[in-house]
Amino acid sequence: MIPFFFILLAVSFLSVVVQHFIPPLSFLHGARVFLLPAIMLYGALALPFGFMLALAAFCGLMWDALTVQVIDVSVGASIKPVVEIALGWSILLYATLGAVMSGFRPLFLRGRWEIHCLMTGLCTALVVLAEFLMLSVRRIALFEGSFVYTPEIGWRIGGAGIVALFLAPLIYWLLSLLSGLVGYEPRVAFARKEDDE
Amino acid sequence: MKRLNLVVLVLFVGFLGVLFTLGPSGTQKVQSTVLGLIAPFLRTGSGLEKKITAIRTGLKSLDQLEKENKALIVHNKQLQSINATLRDLESENNRLRRALHYRERAVFQLVPARIIARDSSSWWNTVTIDRGTADGLTPEMPVVTEEGLVGKVTVVSENAATVVLLSDESCRISVTVEGTREQGIVSGERESGGGTPVISMRFLSKMADLKSGQKVVSSGVGGVYPPGLMIGAVKEFKVRELDGYATLLPAVDLATLEDVFVVTGRK
Repeated sequence: MIPFFFILLAVSFLSVVVQHFIPPLSFLHGARVFLLPAIMLYGALALPFGFMLALAAFCGLMWDALTVQVIDVSVGASIKPVVEIALGWSILLYATLGAVMSGFRPLFLRGRWEIHCLMTGLCTALVVLAEFLMLSVRRIALFEGSFVYTPEIGWRIGGAGIVALFLAPLIYWLLSLLSGLVGYEPRVAFARKEDDE
Repeated sequence: MKRLNLVVLVLFVGFLGVLFTLGPSGTQKVQSTVLGLIAPFLRTGSGLEKKITAIRTGLKSLDQLEKENKALIVHNKQLQSINATLRDLESENNRLRRALHYRERAVFQLVPARIIARDSSSWWNTVTIDRGTADGLTPEMPVVTEEGLVGKVTVVSENAATVVLLSDESCRISVTVEGTREQGIVSGERESGGGTPVISMRFLSKMADLKSGQKVVSSGVGGVYPPGLMIGAVKEFKVRELDGYATLLPAVDLATLEDVFVVTGRK
Protein backbone atom coordinates (compact mmCIF):
# COMPACT_ATOMS: atom_id res chain seq x y z
CA MET A 1 0.00 0.00 0.00
CA ILE A 2 2.74 2.44 0.93
CA PRO A 3 4.51 2.24 -2.48
CA PHE A 4 1.18 2.87 -4.21
CA PHE A 5 0.50 5.83 -1.93
CA PHE A 6 3.81 7.37 -3.00
CA ILE A 7 2.99 6.63 -6.63
CA LEU A 8 -0.28 8.51 -6.20
CA LEU A 9 1.64 11.45 -4.70
CA ALA A 10 3.99 11.47 -7.69
CA VAL A 11 1.13 11.15 -10.20
CA SER A 12 -0.73 13.99 -8.45
CA PHE A 13 2.36 16.19 -8.68
CA LEU A 14 2.79 15.37 -12.38
CA SER A 15 -0.89 16.00 -13.06
CA VAL A 16 -0.55 19.52 -11.64
CA VAL A 17 2.36 20.11 -14.03
CA VAL A 18 0.48 18.63 -17.00
CA GLN A 19 -2.66 20.69 -16.25
CA HIS A 20 -0.60 23.85 -16.83
CA PHE A 21 -0.01 22.84 -20.46
CA ILE A 22 -3.60 21.90 -21.31
CA PRO A 23 -5.29 24.96 -22.82
CA PRO A 24 -8.86 25.90 -21.92
CA LEU A 25 -11.45 24.14 -24.09
CA SER A 26 -12.99 26.75 -26.39
CA PHE A 27 -15.90 24.45 -27.36
CA LEU A 28 -16.86 24.32 -23.66
CA HIS A 29 -16.63 28.12 -23.25
CA GLY A 30 -13.18 28.03 -21.70
CA ALA A 31 -13.70 25.11 -19.28
CA ARG A 32 -10.44 23.64 -17.98
CA VAL A 33 -9.26 20.05 -17.85
CA PHE A 34 -8.64 18.96 -14.26
CA LEU A 35 -6.79 15.70 -13.61
CA LEU A 36 -5.96 16.23 -9.94
CA PRO A 37 -9.47 15.68 -8.46
CA ALA A 38 -9.88 12.37 -10.33
CA ILE A 39 -6.54 11.11 -8.99
CA MET A 40 -7.40 12.23 -5.48
CA LEU A 41 -10.82 10.53 -5.66
CA TYR A 42 -9.27 7.30 -6.94
CA GLY A 43 -6.97 7.46 -3.91
CA ALA A 44 -10.02 7.87 -1.67
CA LEU A 45 -11.41 4.61 -3.07
CA ALA A 46 -8.22 2.60 -3.12
CA LEU A 47 -6.55 3.76 0.11
CA PRO A 48 -7.58 3.60 3.78
CA PHE A 49 -8.89 6.71 5.56
CA GLY A 50 -5.56 7.91 6.98
CA PHE A 51 -3.78 7.70 3.63
CA MET A 52 -6.73 9.41 1.94
CA LEU A 53 -6.37 12.36 4.34
CA ALA A 54 -2.63 12.57 3.66
CA LEU A 55 -3.29 12.50 -0.11
CA ALA A 56 -5.96 15.21 0.28
CA ALA A 57 -3.49 17.34 2.24
CA PHE A 58 -0.84 16.95 -0.47
CA CYS A 59 -3.18 17.59 -3.43
CA GLY A 60 -5.00 20.47 -1.74
CA LEU A 61 -1.82 22.18 -0.65
CA MET A 62 -0.28 21.88 -4.13
CA TRP A 63 -3.40 23.31 -5.74
CA ASP A 64 -3.88 26.15 -3.27
CA ALA A 65 -0.23 27.13 -3.31
CA LEU A 66 -0.32 27.49 -7.08
CA THR A 67 -3.64 29.29 -7.38
CA VAL A 68 -4.57 31.45 -4.39
CA GLN A 69 -3.48 35.05 -4.43
CA VAL A 70 -2.28 37.56 -1.93
CA ILE A 71 -4.01 40.76 -2.99
CA ASP A 72 -3.79 44.42 -2.01
CA VAL A 73 -6.85 45.84 -0.34
CA SER A 74 -7.50 49.47 0.58
CA VAL A 75 -8.05 49.90 4.30
CA GLY A 76 -8.85 53.56 4.89
CA ALA A 77 -6.02 55.51 3.33
CA SER A 78 -3.55 52.63 3.33
CA ILE A 79 -3.23 49.47 1.27
CA LYS A 80 -2.55 46.17 2.98
CA PRO A 81 -1.93 42.68 1.59
CA VAL A 82 -4.66 40.13 2.28
CA VAL A 83 -4.84 36.40 1.52
CA GLU A 84 -7.79 36.06 -0.84
CA ILE A 85 -8.62 32.44 0.05
CA ALA A 86 -6.60 30.84 2.84
CA LEU A 87 -4.29 27.95 2.00
CA GLY A 88 -6.04 24.78 3.10
CA TRP A 89 -9.54 25.25 1.71
CA SER A 90 -8.91 22.80 -1.09
CA ILE A 91 -7.51 20.30 1.43
CA LEU A 92 -10.76 20.48 3.38
CA LEU A 93 -12.76 20.18 0.17
CA TYR A 94 -10.75 17.20 -1.10
CA ALA A 95 -10.93 15.44 2.27
CA THR A 96 -14.72 15.94 2.42
CA LEU A 97 -15.25 14.70 -1.13
CA GLY A 98 -12.80 11.85 -0.48
CA ALA A 99 -14.79 10.80 2.60
CA VAL A 100 -18.02 10.85 0.58
CA MET A 101 -16.36 8.89 -2.23
CA SER A 102 -15.03 6.24 0.16
CA GLY A 103 -18.68 5.45 0.94
CA PHE A 104 -18.89 4.01 -2.59
CA ARG A 105 -15.88 1.74 -2.01
CA PRO A 106 -17.72 -1.62 -1.78
CA LEU A 107 -18.86 -1.31 -5.40
CA PHE A 108 -15.39 -0.19 -6.47
CA LEU A 109 -13.80 -3.21 -4.82
CA ARG A 110 -16.14 -5.41 -6.87
CA GLY A 111 -14.61 -3.88 -10.01
CA ARG A 112 -17.56 -1.61 -10.89
CA TRP A 113 -16.54 1.96 -11.78
CA GLU A 114 -19.69 3.46 -13.32
CA ILE A 115 -20.95 5.32 -10.24
CA HIS A 116 -17.42 6.39 -9.34
CA CYS A 117 -16.77 7.90 -12.77
CA LEU A 118 -20.06 9.80 -12.53
CA MET A 119 -19.13 10.91 -9.03
CA THR A 120 -15.71 12.06 -10.27
CA GLY A 121 -17.39 14.32 -12.84
CA LEU A 122 -19.78 15.65 -10.21
CA CYS A 123 -17.06 16.17 -7.59
CA THR A 124 -14.78 17.97 -10.08
CA ALA A 125 -17.64 20.34 -10.93
CA LEU A 126 -18.25 20.78 -7.19
CA VAL A 127 -14.59 21.68 -6.61
CA VAL A 128 -14.76 24.37 -9.32
CA LEU A 129 -18.15 25.58 -8.00
CA ALA A 130 -16.81 25.77 -4.45
CA GLU A 131 -13.81 27.78 -5.66
CA PHE A 132 -16.17 30.14 -7.51
CA LEU A 133 -18.42 30.61 -4.48
CA MET A 134 -15.51 31.18 -2.09
CA LEU A 135 -13.97 33.67 -4.49
CA SER A 136 -17.29 35.46 -5.00
CA VAL A 137 -18.02 35.78 -1.28
CA ARG A 138 -14.46 36.92 -0.56
CA ARG A 139 -14.37 39.46 -3.38
CA ILE A 140 -17.77 40.86 -2.44
CA ALA A 141 -16.38 41.38 1.07
CA LEU A 142 -13.00 42.76 -0.01
CA PHE A 143 -13.98 44.91 -2.97
CA GLU A 144 -17.60 45.63 -2.05
CA GLY A 145 -18.52 44.12 -5.38
CA SER A 146 -21.62 42.21 -6.37
CA PHE A 147 -22.24 38.56 -7.17
CA VAL A 148 -21.28 37.91 -10.80
CA TYR A 149 -22.81 35.05 -12.74
CA THR A 150 -22.77 34.59 -16.51
CA PRO A 151 -23.49 31.54 -18.71
CA GLU A 152 -19.70 31.28 -19.30
CA ILE A 153 -19.19 30.78 -15.56
CA GLY A 154 -21.79 27.99 -15.64
CA TRP A 155 -19.92 26.37 -18.51
CA ARG A 156 -16.60 26.65 -16.66
CA ILE A 157 -18.12 24.75 -13.74
CA GLY A 158 -20.21 22.21 -15.63
CA GLY A 159 -17.70 21.82 -18.48
CA ALA A 160 -14.92 20.86 -16.06
CA GLY A 161 -17.25 18.17 -14.65
CA ILE A 162 -18.16 16.84 -18.10
CA VAL A 163 -14.51 16.57 -19.11
CA ALA A 164 -13.64 14.85 -15.81
CA LEU A 165 -16.54 12.43 -16.32
CA PHE A 166 -15.14 11.33 -19.67
CA LEU A 167 -11.53 11.23 -18.47
CA ALA A 168 -12.28 9.35 -15.25
CA PRO A 169 -12.43 5.80 -16.75
CA LEU A 170 -9.04 6.33 -18.43
CA ILE A 171 -7.47 7.77 -15.25
CA TYR A 172 -8.94 4.96 -13.13
CA TRP A 173 -7.68 2.34 -15.57
CA LEU A 174 -4.16 3.83 -15.63
CA LEU A 175 -4.05 4.07 -11.85
CA SER A 176 -5.31 0.51 -11.44
CA LEU A 177 -2.50 -0.60 -13.78
CA LEU A 178 0.05 1.23 -11.64
CA SER A 179 -1.51 -0.30 -8.55
CA GLY A 180 -1.12 -3.77 -10.06
CA LEU A 181 2.48 -3.01 -11.03
CA VAL A 182 3.45 -2.38 -7.40
CA GLY A 183 1.42 -5.40 -6.26
CA TYR A 184 -1.28 -3.45 -4.43
CA GLU A 185 -4.77 -4.90 -4.77
CA PRO A 186 -7.32 -2.71 -2.95
CA ARG A 187 -9.82 -5.61 -2.89
CA VAL A 188 -7.33 -7.91 -1.13
CA ALA A 189 -6.03 -5.18 1.17
CA PHE A 190 -9.50 -4.18 2.39
CA ALA A 191 -10.62 -7.83 2.78
CA ARG A 192 -7.53 -8.48 4.92
CA LYS A 193 -8.26 -5.35 6.96
CA GLU A 194 -11.81 -6.51 7.61
CA ASP A 195 -10.54 -9.93 8.68
CA ASP A 196 -8.08 -8.26 11.09
CA GLU A 197 -10.88 -6.20 12.60
CA MET B 1 -12.41 4.61 14.80
CA LYS B 2 -8.98 2.99 14.89
CA ARG B 3 -6.33 4.71 16.97
CA LEU B 4 -4.05 5.29 13.97
CA ASN B 5 -6.88 6.95 12.04
CA LEU B 6 -7.62 9.16 15.02
CA VAL B 7 -3.96 10.23 15.22
CA VAL B 8 -3.93 11.02 11.47
CA LEU B 9 -7.18 12.96 11.81
CA VAL B 10 -5.77 15.04 14.70
CA LEU B 11 -2.59 15.74 12.71
CA PHE B 12 -4.71 16.63 9.67
CA VAL B 13 -6.86 19.09 11.63
CA GLY B 14 -3.74 20.59 13.20
CA PHE B 15 -2.12 21.00 9.77
CA LEU B 16 -5.29 22.68 8.47
CA GLY B 17 -5.38 24.97 11.49
CA VAL B 18 -1.80 26.08 10.83
CA LEU B 19 -2.56 26.75 7.14
CA PHE B 20 -5.77 28.66 7.87
CA THR B 21 -3.99 31.01 10.25
CA LEU B 22 -1.10 31.83 7.90
CA GLY B 23 -0.83 35.53 7.09
CA PRO B 24 0.08 36.99 3.69
CA SER B 25 3.84 36.58 4.17
CA GLY B 26 3.51 33.01 5.47
CA THR B 27 1.21 32.15 2.57
CA GLN B 28 3.69 33.59 0.08
CA LYS B 29 6.52 31.60 1.67
CA VAL B 30 4.57 28.34 1.24
CA GLN B 31 3.63 29.33 -2.30
CA SER B 32 7.22 30.23 -3.10
CA THR B 33 8.40 26.81 -1.86
CA VAL B 34 5.81 24.94 -3.93
CA LEU B 35 6.57 27.10 -6.98
CA GLY B 36 10.29 26.37 -6.51
CA LEU B 37 9.51 22.63 -6.50
CA ILE B 38 7.33 22.70 -9.58
CA ALA B 39 9.27 25.29 -11.63
CA PRO B 40 11.90 22.87 -13.06
CA PHE B 41 9.07 20.62 -14.29
CA LEU B 42 7.23 23.57 -15.82
CA ARG B 43 10.43 24.69 -17.55
CA THR B 44 10.97 21.17 -18.98
CA GLY B 45 7.28 20.96 -19.94
CA SER B 46 7.49 24.31 -21.71
CA GLY B 47 10.48 23.07 -23.76
CA LEU B 48 8.67 19.82 -24.61
CA GLU B 49 5.55 21.72 -25.62
CA LYS B 50 7.61 23.83 -28.06
CA LYS B 51 9.20 20.69 -29.55
CA ILE B 52 5.83 18.97 -29.98
CA THR B 53 4.39 22.07 -31.66
CA ALA B 54 7.38 22.13 -34.04
CA ILE B 55 6.85 18.45 -34.93
CA ARG B 56 3.13 19.02 -35.52
CA THR B 57 3.90 21.99 -37.77
CA GLY B 58 6.35 19.82 -39.70
CA LEU B 59 3.74 17.07 -40.17
CA LYS B 60 1.23 19.59 -41.44
CA SER B 61 3.56 20.83 -44.17
CA LEU B 62 4.27 17.20 -45.13
CA ASP B 63 0.54 16.65 -45.66
CA GLN B 64 0.36 19.65 -47.94
CA LEU B 65 3.36 18.47 -49.90
CA GLU B 66 1.86 15.04 -50.55
CA LYS B 67 -0.91 16.68 -52.54
CA GLU B 68 1.61 18.24 -54.91
CA ASN B 69 3.74 16.77 -57.64
CA LYS B 70 5.32 13.48 -56.51
CA ALA B 71 8.66 14.23 -58.06
CA LEU B 72 9.04 17.42 -56.04
CA ILE B 73 7.95 16.05 -52.67
CA VAL B 74 11.35 15.48 -51.13
CA HIS B 75 12.79 18.71 -52.47
CA ASN B 76 9.75 20.71 -51.42
CA LYS B 77 9.76 19.18 -47.95
CA GLN B 78 13.38 20.19 -47.41
CA LEU B 79 12.82 23.72 -48.66
CA GLN B 80 9.67 24.21 -46.66
CA SER B 81 11.24 22.90 -43.51
CA ILE B 82 14.23 25.22 -43.92
CA ASN B 83 11.89 28.05 -44.71
CA ALA B 84 9.74 27.39 -41.65
CA THR B 85 12.79 27.30 -39.42
CA LEU B 86 14.07 30.55 -40.92
CA ARG B 87 10.66 32.17 -40.54
CA ASP B 88 10.56 31.11 -36.90
CA LEU B 89 14.05 32.46 -36.41
CA GLU B 90 13.15 35.69 -38.20
CA SER B 91 10.06 36.23 -36.06
CA GLU B 92 11.99 35.38 -32.89
CA ASN B 93 14.78 37.71 -34.03
CA ASN B 94 12.29 40.51 -34.67
CA ARG B 95 10.62 39.92 -31.33
CA LEU B 96 13.91 39.92 -29.44
CA ARG B 97 15.16 42.94 -31.42
CA ARG B 98 12.00 44.85 -30.48
CA ALA B 99 12.43 43.73 -26.90
CA LEU B 100 16.09 44.78 -26.86
CA HIS B 101 15.26 48.20 -28.31
CA TYR B 102 12.52 48.60 -25.74
CA ARG B 103 14.87 47.60 -22.96
CA GLU B 104 17.44 50.19 -24.15
CA ARG B 105 14.80 52.89 -24.63
CA ALA B 106 12.92 52.27 -21.41
CA VAL B 107 13.39 54.53 -18.42
CA PHE B 108 13.11 51.51 -16.12
CA GLN B 109 15.55 48.81 -15.13
CA LEU B 110 14.12 45.74 -16.82
CA VAL B 111 14.75 42.04 -16.31
CA PRO B 112 13.76 40.04 -19.40
CA ALA B 113 11.74 36.89 -18.67
CA ARG B 114 10.06 34.12 -20.62
CA ILE B 115 6.64 32.67 -19.81
CA ILE B 116 7.04 28.99 -18.98
CA ALA B 117 3.48 28.12 -17.96
CA ARG B 118 -0.03 29.51 -17.86
CA ASP B 119 -2.41 29.13 -14.95
CA SER B 120 -4.50 25.97 -15.08
CA SER B 121 -7.32 27.10 -12.80
CA SER B 122 -10.74 28.41 -13.80
CA TRP B 123 -10.88 31.68 -11.91
CA TRP B 124 -7.39 33.12 -11.73
CA ASN B 125 -5.36 34.60 -14.61
CA THR B 126 -1.69 34.12 -13.89
CA VAL B 127 1.45 33.05 -15.73
CA THR B 128 4.73 31.61 -14.48
CA ILE B 129 7.96 33.25 -15.66
CA ASP B 130 11.49 31.85 -15.60
CA ARG B 131 13.00 34.52 -13.32
CA GLY B 132 13.02 34.66 -9.54
CA THR B 133 14.80 35.98 -6.48
CA ALA B 134 18.13 35.02 -8.08
CA ASP B 135 17.45 37.73 -10.68
CA GLY B 136 16.42 40.33 -8.11
CA LEU B 137 12.65 39.86 -8.38
CA THR B 138 10.38 40.60 -5.44
CA PRO B 139 6.58 40.55 -5.11
CA GLU B 140 4.63 43.60 -6.37
CA MET B 141 7.06 44.38 -9.22
CA PRO B 142 5.24 45.46 -12.39
CA VAL B 143 5.59 43.29 -15.50
CA VAL B 144 5.52 44.94 -18.92
CA THR B 145 6.20 44.45 -22.62
CA GLU B 146 7.02 47.07 -25.22
CA GLU B 147 3.25 47.34 -25.87
CA GLY B 148 2.23 48.04 -22.29
CA LEU B 149 1.45 46.67 -18.85
CA VAL B 150 1.03 42.91 -18.35
CA GLY B 151 0.47 42.62 -14.58
CA LYS B 152 2.54 42.28 -11.43
CA VAL B 153 4.66 39.69 -9.66
CA THR B 154 2.90 38.00 -6.74
CA VAL B 155 4.90 34.92 -5.72
CA VAL B 156 8.66 34.57 -6.19
CA SER B 157 10.82 31.47 -5.81
CA GLU B 158 14.54 31.28 -6.57
CA ASN B 159 14.21 30.73 -10.32
CA ALA B 160 10.54 31.31 -11.11
CA ALA B 161 7.78 33.73 -10.29
CA THR B 162 4.02 33.98 -10.61
CA VAL B 163 2.63 37.02 -12.40
CA VAL B 164 -0.99 37.98 -11.96
CA LEU B 165 -2.24 39.36 -15.27
CA LEU B 166 -4.23 42.58 -15.58
CA SER B 167 -7.10 40.44 -16.89
CA ASP B 168 -7.46 38.95 -13.38
CA GLU B 169 -10.27 40.39 -11.29
CA SER B 170 -7.96 40.88 -8.30
CA CYS B 171 -5.41 42.93 -10.27
CA ARG B 172 -6.53 46.54 -9.79
CA ILE B 173 -4.72 49.42 -11.44
CA SER B 174 -5.33 53.11 -11.00
CA VAL B 175 -5.50 54.64 -14.49
CA THR B 176 -6.10 57.82 -16.36
CA VAL B 177 -7.51 58.41 -19.82
CA GLU B 178 -5.08 60.19 -22.12
CA GLY B 179 -6.15 63.68 -23.12
CA THR B 180 -8.69 63.95 -20.27
CA ARG B 181 -8.66 64.37 -16.51
CA GLU B 182 -10.69 61.19 -16.08
CA GLN B 183 -9.34 58.66 -13.59
CA GLY B 184 -10.61 55.17 -12.84
CA ILE B 185 -9.70 51.69 -11.71
CA VAL B 186 -8.97 48.97 -14.24
CA SER B 187 -9.46 45.30 -13.40
CA GLY B 188 -10.18 42.05 -15.18
CA GLU B 189 -13.44 40.15 -15.28
CA ARG B 190 -13.94 36.72 -13.73
CA GLU B 191 -14.99 35.14 -17.01
CA SER B 192 -11.89 36.42 -18.84
CA GLY B 193 -9.70 33.33 -18.36
CA GLY B 194 -10.78 31.30 -21.39
CA GLY B 195 -10.55 33.13 -24.69
CA THR B 196 -10.14 36.85 -25.23
CA PRO B 197 -9.29 38.65 -22.00
CA VAL B 198 -11.85 41.22 -20.86
CA ILE B 199 -10.78 44.24 -18.84
CA SER B 200 -12.92 47.06 -17.61
CA MET B 201 -12.54 50.52 -16.12
CA ARG B 202 -14.77 51.55 -13.22
CA PHE B 203 -15.37 54.59 -11.03
CA LEU B 204 -15.27 57.07 -13.92
CA SER B 205 -17.38 60.17 -13.69
CA LYS B 206 -20.77 59.86 -15.37
CA MET B 207 -19.88 62.88 -17.53
CA ALA B 208 -16.70 61.21 -18.84
CA ASP B 209 -18.09 60.64 -22.37
CA LEU B 210 -15.14 58.52 -23.48
CA LYS B 211 -14.77 57.72 -27.16
CA SER B 212 -13.80 54.36 -28.61
CA GLY B 213 -10.04 54.19 -29.20
CA GLN B 214 -9.01 56.66 -26.46
CA LYS B 215 -5.86 55.42 -24.76
CA VAL B 216 -5.76 54.44 -21.09
CA VAL B 217 -2.50 54.60 -19.11
CA SER B 218 -1.52 53.89 -15.51
CA SER B 219 -1.74 56.95 -13.26
CA GLY B 220 0.90 55.89 -10.74
CA VAL B 221 -1.50 56.22 -7.79
CA GLY B 222 -0.92 53.44 -5.26
CA GLY B 223 2.79 53.17 -5.96
CA VAL B 224 2.91 49.66 -7.50
CA TYR B 225 2.68 50.66 -11.16
CA PRO B 226 4.70 53.59 -12.51
CA PRO B 227 2.65 56.29 -14.28
CA GLY B 228 2.34 56.31 -18.06
CA LEU B 229 2.29 52.57 -18.75
CA MET B 230 -0.10 51.74 -21.58
CA ILE B 231 -3.05 49.63 -20.40
CA GLY B 232 -5.30 49.59 -23.46
CA ALA B 233 -7.82 51.51 -25.50
CA VAL B 234 -11.46 52.28 -24.74
CA LYS B 235 -13.84 49.92 -26.53
CA GLU B 236 -17.17 51.01 -25.13
CA PHE B 237 -18.34 53.53 -22.54
CA LYS B 238 -21.55 53.19 -20.50
CA VAL B 239 -23.11 55.34 -17.82
CA ARG B 240 -24.31 53.39 -14.79
CA GLU B 241 -26.38 54.47 -11.82
CA LEU B 242 -23.45 55.75 -9.77
CA ASP B 243 -20.47 55.93 -12.11
CA GLY B 244 -19.17 55.61 -15.64
CA TYR B 245 -17.96 52.22 -16.86
CA ALA B 246 -15.82 51.37 -19.87
CA THR B 247 -14.66 48.13 -21.40
CA LEU B 248 -11.11 48.17 -22.74
CA LEU B 249 -9.09 46.37 -25.36
CA PRO B 250 -5.80 45.45 -23.64
CA ALA B 251 -2.69 46.93 -25.28
CA VAL B 252 -0.87 43.64 -24.77
CA ASP B 253 -2.14 40.42 -26.32
CA LEU B 254 -2.23 38.46 -23.05
CA ALA B 255 -3.34 35.22 -24.73
CA THR B 256 -0.23 34.82 -26.91
CA LEU B 257 2.33 36.50 -24.69
CA GLU B 258 5.76 34.79 -24.63
CA ASP B 259 8.39 37.30 -23.48
CA VAL B 260 7.97 39.98 -20.82
CA PHE B 261 10.06 42.39 -18.75
CA VAL B 262 9.94 42.77 -15.00
CA VAL B 263 10.41 46.37 -13.84
CA THR B 264 12.95 46.20 -11.03
CA GLY B 265 13.47 49.95 -10.65
CA ARG B 266 14.29 53.17 -12.45
CA LYS B 267 17.49 53.72 -14.45
